[in-house]
Amino acid sequence: MIKIENLEKVYKTEEIETTALNGINLHVKEGEFVSIMGPSGCGKSTLLNVMGLLDKPESGSYKFIETELLTLNDRERSNFRKRNMGFVFQNFNLIDELTVFENIELPLIYNKVPAGERKKLVNEIIGRMNIVNRSGHFPQQLSGGQQQRVAVARALVTKPKLVLADEPTGNLDSTHGNEVMELLCELNETGTTIVMVTHSSHDASFSNRIINLKDGHVISEKINKGRTEELI
Amino acid sequence: MFKLNLKIALRNLWKNKTSSFINVIGLAIGLAACLMLLLYVTYELNFDKESKNSENVYTVMTNIPGDNGKVSNTFEGSTTALGPLLKEEIPEIKHLARMNYLKKALIAVGENSFKKLGKFAEPEILKLFDYQYIVGNAATAMQNPKSVILTESTAKVLFGSTQVLNRVVKYQDKEDLTVSAVIKDLPDNTSATLKFDYLMPWAFYEMVDASAKELNWGNFSFVTMALLDPNTDVTRVNEKIDKVVKTHLEQANQPYFLYPLSKLHLYGKFENGVNVGGDIEQIYLFVALAFGILMIACINFMNMATAKSEKRAKEVGIKKTIGANRVSLIMQFLTESMVLTFIAVIVAIALLEIFLPTFNNLLNIKLSIGYFSASSWMWILGIVFLTGLIAGSYPAFYLSAFNPIQTLKKRIKSGGILAINLRQVLVVGQFCFAIVLIISTMVIYRQIQFIKNRPMGIDVNALVEIPQDGELKTKFEVVKSQLLKSGAVKAVSQSSVGLSHRGQNFMDVKWEGMAKPLNTQLFNQVATTYDFIKTNGIKLKEGRDFSKNFASDSAGVLISATALKVFGYTNPIGKTVTIFDDKYTIVGVFDDYVWDSPYQSNNPVIVFFDPNRTGTITMRLNEANSIAQNIATITEITKQVNPAYPTDIKFLNSIYLEKYNSEKTLGILSNLFGGLAIFVSCLGLFGLVAYSAEQRTKEFGVRKVLGASVTNLMQLLSLSFVKMIVVAIIIAVPLSYYAMGKWLSKFEFHTEINWWIMLLAAFGTLAMALITVSFQAYKSAKANPVDALKYE
Repeated sequence: MIKIENLEKVYKTEEIETTALNGINLHVKEGEFVSIMGPSGCGKSTLLNVMGLLDKPESGSYKFIETELLTLNDRERSNFRKRNMGFVFQNFNLIDELTVFENIELPLIYNKVPAGERKKLVNEIIGRMNIVNRSGHFPQQLSGGQQQRVAVARALVTKPKLVLADEPTGNLDSTHGNEVMELLCELNETGTTIVMVTHSSHDASFSNRIINLKDGHVISEKINKGRTEELI
Repeated sequence: MFKLNLKIALRNLWKNKTSSFINVIGLAIGLAACLMLLLYVTYELNFDKESKNSENVYTVMTNIPGDNGKVSNTFEGSTTALGPLLKEEIPEIKHLARMNYLKKALIAVGENSFKKLGKFAEPEILKLFDYQYIVGNAATAMQNPKSVILTESTAKVLFGSTQVLNRVVKYQDKEDLTVSAVIKDLPDNTSATLKFDYLMPWAFYEMVDASAKELNWGNFSFVTMALLDPNTDVTRVNEKIDKVVKTHLEQANQPYFLYPLSKLHLYGKFENGVNVGGDIEQIYLFVALAFGILMIACINFMNMATAKSEKRAKEVGIKKTIGANRVSLIMQFLTESMVLTFIAVIVAIALLEIFLPTFNNLLNIKLSIGYFSASSWMWILGIVFLTGLIAGSYPAFYLSAFNPIQTLKKRIKSGGILAINLRQVLVVGQFCFAIVLIISTMVIYRQIQFIKNRPMGIDVNALVEIPQDGELKTKFEVVKSQLLKSGAVKAVSQSSVGLSHRGQNFMDVKWEGMAKPLNTQLFNQVATTYDFIKTNGIKLKEGRDFSKNFASDSAGVLISATALKVFGYTNPIGKTVTIFDDKYTIVGVFDDYVWDSPYQSNNPVIVFFDPNRTGTITMRLNEANSIAQNIATITEITKQVNPAYPTDIKFLNSIYLEKYNSEKTLGILSNLFGGLAIFVSCLGLFGLVAYSAEQRTKEFGVRKVLGASVTNLMQLLSLSFVKMIVVAIIIAVPLSYYAMGKWLSKFEFHTEINWWIMLLAAFGTLAMALITVSFQAYKSAKANPVDALKYE
């Protein structure tokens, strides 16, 4: 589904140039759950941002089901993103002024889904995420785990082809962290492709494939056998 | 989407109560000031525009020739002979009416008698202006020469009702007039020549005043107004008028021209016969003031919004990641500013309702919000929309441009270098405006004081005047001796005009050794009998006042010091001057006194001895008695002699105070709005400091733990803000020095701009800003560092 070739990204400041991605090649199949690991500053978040069309690389190619994405302009990128991708962040990034229901509804509004259908879709996912009794609450009134469930729900409500998760358990204790990981696995089992950046090998163990980055290069790739067999 | 934006906006307002409060109050004050000034400006702009034909109504102006073929003076006034000639010769004129200036005259029903503004006009005046008839109609209202049209309030005062068709009123205690119509009161913004209390036919004028009957080319005491066909080129009509007048009257050297009546109020200043603006300049100033204050409030909003950008950045980032485009974000932030402005305008209207009566009192006008007029709502909504747009646009574009990755990673620094600079620029701009207003207010105030303290050449205290009506003319000597005997007054004199008057200028003067063939200097004339100098407290420089001991005084004149300068006589007493072909002997020279504008030198004055040209009685009160006692005695005596007329006593010092009105208005407005500008600016400053303190809570905690004192922290927080005020002072002081210097140079007599005014304004502003800043700075510097460090 995703074909990334020779991706290069350089951050420039007045004094120094930092190469974040240095000729990255990466293929992700539909329905795969890929973890990206590596030390701080290895470029994994940059890679995730490029994949999520939040950042532009200097060169290379990024094909998503045969569509080249790097040639799109801002408006096309924004449109492509909202139709095909969902995001889950380490710090949840919910909007404080909106309730749980409204937070989840927001991407549907941007996708111009009619009100009646929006309600149906949001209620459906709220049920699935087990946060029905929280739908009228504001983010500050929820625990970290609950907030991340809302964030996942918001990422999934548009039924994206690809979910990008940036350290989704980083701000959670192990119990809540495991809950979120199980949620992602369930999702993956229903066919959603997931790319996750993580520091935790425990979290990575939930995925099919683990890619290790260092200094902007892919240095190793490991197939997670238990999960891959399931996939086959 | 709009609903969601609205929801976010309202929740945000509720969550940030301090900044919402500052924004709403600031914007409400700005909007209230703006709406108030706009009401005033609309009132001024709509002068004489009530009638549907107002665009095509013109008034005849006269140019007085001066030296070297130039025009020395232009005024609204014409002769009786001009009107009929124009009507005959100029086909573009659809209707034309001659009329007199307004004059207060007695109108009575039985015992119920009042002095009200009466006007005589030819019947076609009813075609020029569409008066609203309560009873009667335009076709019949002026058919009968002995008829009168009353305004609604005059009818109510006289009869207690408006249904008074064919009832009879008595004019000047002599003539019976039948009420032929009652019309709605004329709007307040009707020019002074037209704002009558009752209107009488010209035919009746010809019966009571011979000067109205003859077709005269020399007496300019009349007004001529005309209605032109729409689409007429008035320049061509004026060319025709010039030709027509010259063919009928060879010696006519006063060119007449038609000027739009509705323009005269604001564009009434002429130089060399050409319009050079007028009060419209003040209107521009007020509009600038109105929008200036609104702009200050908008800047507060922008500053608060961009200062809070760090908080909002996260929201922008999330929304962008899940699919929001820039337009939808811009719309969201604009919705927020619109909601805020909308709340502010409700508060503003409430403020307006509270303060409008005071404002009306100060300016002596009647303004009100037209709640039932669609146009005033259009204006209000327009201003709300515009304000929301101005206040919201910069934050909207600024915030919506945030890069989602940086905002979500919290890598964004509050504002960034450029934003901070712009915020500083805006604060400096606000305070510049406020300081300029403060300095202007002080200079205007000093100028008014300067003119008030200028010697006027007369002693107006304890001086009163009454109009010389009815029996007061014929029995003047009786009244005078009774008044003097009563002890209420120390001196009494009669004169053709009051001490303070307009007009009565003339040029037909010749003197011995005159270099030019014709005089081009305008002189002013006053006719009097005895005790003119004594009563008015004028200083006699040479010679004497008119005296009963000299029978020859009937051909004598008193002249002012400037008149003497024009004549160039070294020993003036006994010398002669020829005025209107009659020879007069100079018996006295007096010091100049202010009778017209106190801001410039007045024309030289010649005082004639003439018992027939009377109009005003002036009295110097006996200060040994109380004023009330004196007034009661005077009223009693005049009422006895002249029972038909109400006694209308006026104090000269209040008449002279009116001369400062226009500058007083300017002073009041700049004072009021200068204060508001400072207040709203400080409000914004308070918000910024509060926000900056909140952001630096942790830093302050750390510094305190490391040993910083409260003073250290206060300095830290205040310094950057104080710097901005200092920059504003540096810009504003020379700016206002230049502007006010230019304003002062308009006046022949003016004060100087003192350095201490600048200093006072600068330190005053600085002190005000410092108080604002330190209040908040002290609060955060005193906070417990442990709380600050726990806070994350």
